[in-house]
Amino acid sequence: MSIRLKIISEMQQIAREQNITLPPLDDDLPLQSTSLDSLGFAILVARLEDELGRDPFTIADEAAFPLTIGDFVRAYENVPA
Amino acid sequence: MRSILVTGASRGIGLSIARRLAAGGDRVIAVARKRGAELDDAIAAAAATSGEIGFKAFDLSEVGAIPAFVKELRGEFGPIFGLVNNAGIGTEGLLATMHNSQIEALVRLNVLSPIILTKYVARQMMADRAGRIINMSSIIATTGYRGLSVYGATKAAAAGFTRSLAREVGQLGITVNAIAPGFIETELTGNLSEGDRERIAGRSALRRLATPDDVAATVEFLLGEGGTNITGAVQVIDAGNTA
Repeated sequence: MSIRLKIISEMQQIAREQNITLPPLDDDLPLQSTSLDSLGFAILVARLEDELGRDPFTIADEAAFPLTIGDFVRAYENVPA
Repeated sequence: MRSILVTGASRGIGLSIARRLAAGGDRVIAVARKRGAELDDAIAAAAATSGEIGFKAFDLSEVGAIPAFVKELRGEFGPIFGLVNNAGIGTEGLLATMHNSQIEALVRLNVLSPIILTKYVARQMMADRAGRIINMSSIIATTGYRGLSVYGATKAAAAGFTRSLAREVGQLGITVNAIAPGFIETELTGNLSEGDRERIAGRSALRRLATPDDVAATVEFLLGEGGTNITGAVQVIDAGNTA
């Protein structure tokens, strides 16, 4: 499964657990408009580290968090496992 | 078997916690810079119980190495159910004459390090939707004591961290509590004179000092069924010193 599919599938799983409905997860969708709250993203980052063996936000030099789905996926695609 | 990570487990309160949890059937991951004879004995003794103690050498002041260390623990021991942030230093000194490097070391080991360690362990707990976190505060966080201003600040930080983190992770079934021991007979209080020790014991409602095992018993309780609905709390263990 590609990194993108893995991320989308985890987001859908967390949304199910939190009983929320996600909009279509297009690349330019702002993360704030996904309906996932900050805790949801914390769970997402934790699970992705477990499954993909990487955490782009720990190894990044800057503390910036991505703004859109596309930025988020690229953050994971652009770091070594 | 539950895995419980205990920092500063080579002596004092941490060692008592490791011994007690292993005797109760837990797998204790004992973290300290050096192993030491006392921990060797505890590891050997644990082999005869239903639990076990595994030692991992790590210098918690190396904050940058914590993420990889937690990943390594996960790989070796699997999911961590409990985290006991016990490691700490108790450097004394009047603020006016403490060296800045001593102040920085106190804040690094007593505040920054447990917060970063908790970040990475709690993330795994969040993914698992279960876990217990226990931070070591102190009665000095609320009472004050001459020569312990920086130490007191770090222990007040532990209590504040506990309450807010409990709010953040509560809905995921993770509890976060703090223990505030009074003066307890360990190496950290070894610098107190006999007179000071008697004075402190004399001021306590029970006319004695609490022991490391008293703290260990409370950790065991908070990690067990009794702790299921306790979160964001600070449990004082001081034989009534602040009563």
